[in-house]
Amino acid sequence: MKFNIDTLPIIFPYDRIYPEQYAYMCDLKRTLDATGHCVLEMPSGTGKTVSLLSLIVSYQQFYPTRRKLIYCSRTVPEIEKALAELKRLMSYRISCAETEGEKQKERDFTGLGLTSRKNLCIHTEVSKEKKGKVVDARCRDLTNSAVCEKGRTDPGSVELCDWHENLGQLEPGTLVPRGIMTLADVLQHGKDNTTCPYFTVRRMLPFVDIIIYSFHYLLDPKVAEQVSKEMSKDAIVVFDEAHNIGLTYNVCIESLSIDLTRPMLDSAARSVGKLGDKIEEIKVTDAAKLQNEYANLVEGLQDNTTDPEDQDGFMTAPVLPDDLLHEAIPGNIRKAEHFVAFLKRFVEYLKTRMRVLHVVAETPLSFLQHLKDITYIERRPLRTLELSRLDEHASLQKVASFATLVSTYEKGFLLILEPFETDSATVPNPIFHFTCLDPSLAIKPVFERFSSVVITSGTISPLDMYPKMLQFTPVVQETYPMTLTRNAFLPLVITRGSDQVAISSRFEVRNDPAVVRNFGSILIEYSKIVPDGIVAFFPSYLYMESIVAAWNDMGILNEVWKNKLIFVETPDANETSIALENYRRACDNGRGAVLLSVARGKVSEGIDFDHNYGRAVIMFGVPYQYTESRILKARLEYLRDAYRIRESEFLGFDAMRNAAQCVGRVLRGKTDWGLMVFADKRFARADKRAKLPRWINQYITETASNLSTDMALTLSKLFMRTISQNPNENQTGISLWTLDDVLKAQAKQAAEVEQQNDQEGDEYGDGGISDQMMIDFELDG
Amino acid sequence: MPTIVCTAKVVYKKTPGILELTDTLLQWTQNGQKAPSVRVPYAEAASLFCSKEGAPQVKLKIALFGDDNGHNFTFMASNPVALGEREKFKTELTTIIGRNRKVLDASSKLPTAPIPSSTTPIPQVSRPSIVPSRTSASRATSVSSDSIRATPIIPGIDPAADFRHRKNVFLNNPDLAVLHRELVVGGHITEAEFWEGREHLIYTQVAQDSQRKGKSGVIVDPRTETVDGVIQLTPQLIQDTFEQYPVVAKAHSENVPSKVFTCNVNDVVRIFFFTNTDTTKLSEAEFWTRYFRSKLFNAHRASIRSAATQHVVKDDPIFDKYLEKDDDELEPRRQRDVAMDLFVDLGATREDHEDTGNEKDVTMQAGKQKGALPLIRKGEGPSSKRLKLTTDEREVEGIDIEDLHDLEPSAGIALEMQDSQRYFEGQMQDTGQDGTKESLDIKSIIRNTVVNLQQWDLNLSQVNSLVLVLCYHSSKMFLKLKVERKAYDAALVSMTQNVHARLDAQSRKNDIPENLFKQMRSCQSAANEFLRHFWASISPPMSEGPTLGPSTPSQRAAKAAKMIAFLSRTHEKVTALAQIAQQQSVDPARVEVAMQPVLRAVDRALTFYHNKRLGQRLDQ
Repeated sequence: MKFNIDTLPIIFPYDRIYPEQYAYMCDLKRTLDATGHCVLEMPSGTGKTVSLLSLIVSYQQFYPTRRKLIYCSRTVPEIEKALAELKRLMSYRISCAETEGEKQKERDFTGLGLTSRKNLCIHTEVSKEKKGKVVDARCRDLTNSAVCEKGRTDPGSVELCDWHENLGQLEPGTLVPRGIMTLADVLQHGKDNTTCPYFTVRRMLPFVDIIIYSFHYLLDPKVAEQVSKEMSKDAIVVFDEAHNIGLTYNVCIESLSIDLTRPMLDSAARSVGKLGDKIEEIKVTDAAKLQNEYANLVEGLQDNTTDPEDQDGFMTAPVLPDDLLHEAIPGNIRKAEHFVAFLKRFVEYLKTRMRVLHVVAETPLSFLQHLKDITYIERRPLRTLELSRLDEHASLQKVASFATLVSTYEKGFLLILEPFETDSATVPNPIFHFTCLDPSLAIKPVFERFSSVVITSGTISPLDMYPKMLQFTPVVQETYPMTLTRNAFLPLVITRGSDQVAISSRFEVRNDPAVVRNFGSILIEYSKIVPDGIVAFFPSYLYMESIVAAWNDMGILNEVWKNKLIFVETPDANETSIALENYRRACDNGRGAVLLSVARGKVSEGIDFDHNYGRAVIMFGVPYQYTESRILKARLEYLRDAYRIRESEFLGFDAMRNAAQCVGRVLRGKTDWGLMVFADKRFARADKRAKLPRWINQYITETASNLSTDMALTLSKLFMRTISQNPNENQTGISLWTLDDVLKAQAKQAAEVEQQNDQEGDEYGDGGISDQMMIDFELDG
Repeated sequence: MPTIVCTAKVVYKKTPGILELTDTLLQWTQNGQKAPSVRVPYAEAASLFCSKEGAPQVKLKIALFGDDNGHNFTFMASNPVALGEREKFKTELTTIIGRNRKVLDASSKLPTAPIPSSTTPIPQVSRPSIVPSRTSASRATSVSSDSIRATPIIPGIDPAADFRHRKNVFLNNPDLAVLHRELVVGGHITEAEFWEGREHLIYTQVAQDSQRKGKSGVIVDPRTETVDGVIQLTPQLIQDTFEQYPVVAKAHSENVPSKVFTCNVNDVVRIFFFTNTDTTKLSEAEFWTRYFRSKLFNAHRASIRSAATQHVVKDDPIFDKYLEKDDDELEPRRQRDVAMDLFVDLGATREDHEDTGNEKDVTMQAGKQKGALPLIRKGEGPSSKRLKLTTDEREVEGIDIEDLHDLEPSAGIALEMQDSQRYFEGQMQDTGQDGTKESLDIKSIIRNTVVNLQQWDLNLSQVNSLVLVLCYHSSKMFLKLKVERKAYDAALVSMTQNVHARLDAQSRKNDIPENLFKQMRSCQSAANEFLRHFWASISPPMSEGPTLGPSTPSQRAAKAAKMIAFLSRTHEKVTALAQIAQQQSVDPARVEVAMQPVLRAVDRALTFYHNKRLGQRLDQ
């Protein structure tokens, strides 16, 4: 459908629109007009992505400035889905365009998605590598500028990547045809034309209208400097599924935190040794070259100009404050051998620290008392030495990054040395955590640099916490309720089993056989009555794994197996993907399946369980974070001190947001339906439920907030019987708008504004001269 | 060719084939082979075992004298069908075995002790002599299948499958089978004509056959059910164990002597065991006893509990060889390399960017509970295996929101009105003319409707004669509704009488000799069938699927003529029946009353036909 918001013509790729979507688009437009930031919470499954893209593309196509859109999401499936959505939108726009010129304009609109070499490599050998790091390193060995130069002047002397070479022969900006390409499309294009998909996307970045990639590419300073620095300042940045950039354990914080373990240090020490040998060797053979390279390196750093064609991608040193770069390189690392000797000392120093058998927490400043002169260590010296297979030195790089981070930031960080893995462990397995406490640090440059940042998700309540913690001022801050003509989902809180024993995942009772059995009987009973797919979420991997084992011994799994197949999330991502694929197939062919998975786990992010893939979702327990974690404690303390956010309050919000995130995965569209079972007695408390997003909480009735298993089953059966019938009422006009409804709403809004203006007019009294009169008057004059 | 009592598709030793019960032996033929590879003469059958009702697989095991292991057959058809098939075999075989037992008891003094496992074939003199005495009994049930085979196969998509489906229809519907035998085998109508209008029965059958219930997802977990730690070993359990743990099947085949079947000229199956000098070979019982005590078994259970049972577990030189390392690493032992759909590829996210940040909390590190991992993986394997049995293609689009699309207006069902012009004219007249003409019009409309109604009724596959009577009377009733009240009353009375008579006949059914009653029934159903065909050819039904019947008007006319020829003989038949009744000292009037409705229906058809012919001639 086509309609206008103010003067902006919108093309929305469906015949109808949800009122939420319309409101969302209006607010979004307001943000863009004001070139400000916004926080928007929109119910899951109400077509957030399509509304967002539809508005922004309309905006880009209408205004001549054509602000670029940087769309960030969390996972590759979500990125791919967004690209598919965009592709669909653009083909709709092309079909809607009236003149040939307009059509061409729509066809020229280009959008691409970026992911790692591992996911985009199609080199016959390299792509077979299992580890991303190895792919990166081997790719660099084949494509870095030195090797390319050598290979081109003297063909056959070194191995080059054909796919990369072919790309070099094309005109920049025309590597792929205009239009939208999903990751799968880009891969196919690369295969068809023997060009490298990864570098295609990298080099096309300046020419596209929309780029879709993961948060890391914008927030992780190491990566952002390479990938995102050329993005112009007026670009629109969208963080979708933005609950992930929020608070503790999130992209912002993770990108500035680092861990060191003893095996890493050992490996780093070995690397240093090897480097030393190499230097000695080169010194003998080619001393002049070494000195030359080193001089170049220093110059290059001071100019702070990175080669735009830098193929070396994401593994560069952390971003450094400008002033640091303009300082002279300290004398003690000016020469390669000095540099290596220095590194050696540093590694030894860390190893000594790790021998301590008690927990140590200190600020970077105190740490630096011992290591005053450390500045940064860059990858470039390693390249100077023409080392191949950089991945072998990964540990050393980690140490270098660690050193750099420690020396760069003073506030908002903490160093924690944990000699033992758990409290009960006796064999030391020391980990040196360098942890970021302040989530605003990583995102700050984004807010400073880009004029419009949109933060949106299905679950980001409490809304006001976000601007506070990320330190920005939003223009619009909004949460939308869900309008439904009939309750498409039924949230139920089960607080006790049929035997009236209270159920909870609280640490003290979670392994109580009665609780485990009651959790199990919930699953058994629901596997009997729910068609197709059931998804169950546990608060942690540890709990899920122990409960699966216990269920097996109790014969509960066998009971479930009688009704449905069971798939479980495992540590291995590929294995889990296969399980997921099989789960979906079982749901499609009517066999039915249960998927056991973990809140905050791999599956809970980015995989949707709409329609038959999730007719019921069961949340076993409240997904609290592991409160014994020292890092979490430190972060909470920091939050309390810096922003006056109470720990318990924060943890409660965090847990409920995650629960909502999990249950929200079962809905897409308003005709989709599903059961949402919250199985824990703590969900019954009103203060806990109040922390759920409004669109879920508004549908939890008083009776459904404190149920035993058998009562919940009765309600569920009743619900399924009603929801499976054809809806009698017409949704149109209430929870579903046609074009007419949109126009009506706009007219109503305009009338209200007018009325308001009138009132204002009366208040201020402009002497009874209307605008029209003023215009007429001017014309006359 | 021997008479076949029943047949079914079965799997024997993992090879699909056909199991047949002839009048002398039970034989199994591998698919594609001509000669049966397993032949069990009746006299050999010692006992019969069936898998439990509701078990995922429908199995039949027949044990032989001298070989308790016997033969295991798994029925391939879907569950309800397979159960039915097995039931047939079961009833037939039970009588046979029962007789065998009696003979055995009688001759118990003869040397009939079980043959030692390592014997060379001993000719069994005493048994084959029993065989001929049994054949007659089983032959009775074999008639239908034999005669059907002789009928021509109508060209369909797959004649063999088509034939099978039809046979199944008959098996489920004996009355229809009888009718078929009379009309088609009797040569009155062709096979195609018979099925015309009954296509839906075949379609239902096909649909039923094609619906397969998946296998049960339950993982075998044999547990001791009694205090003394005895595990009940059933063939089902063995089968499931082999299937879910191929390593056990491998161990079994390598360590338990295998059996080989051969046939000698006399079609008597002999079973030999390969006598093996290797002492490590185990007997069946020994194998399972040791398995349940082995580490292998405990590894397969893969529960936390197994740690507690460690002390009971003994080292076992045979089974420990098959022990695999626990699959409890973070990455599965077996890496499956499949191209993933990016929409569900979790690995792609992991590789999307470099790992950053601190290590996850200890509770959020997957795979910390090592004991659970093999269990999780074990569950996954069978679950995906079960899925492979039913593969459906699907599309992953996953981004479309359905309810935001405009509803496509459905094509709707066009109202096909006969003589619509007249209908509208009638309405116009309604408004314009007076009441006298109105009644006349209504009369004709009613007549039309009644005719249509009758035809519609007749198109129903099973036309009950009572319906016909009702139609007949009601048509009369309607026609004379305004004309004579007396006739209406008379009709009502006659109808009541009729129903009464039928009821009477039914309640005193025993009075009519079974033989005669059967003849009456067959006469009636035959007439109904002819009527069905007649009316169907006069006004062809609106069919959804492809029909087997003739489609051109001339073909239909020919068919109608043929049917009329048949129908016109009905009166003779009834008279003949009445005569027989008289001979058997039954009141012929009762026969006539009973056949009255059919006769009326036939008469009506005849008059209709003649009128039509007359009309056509006049037209010409």
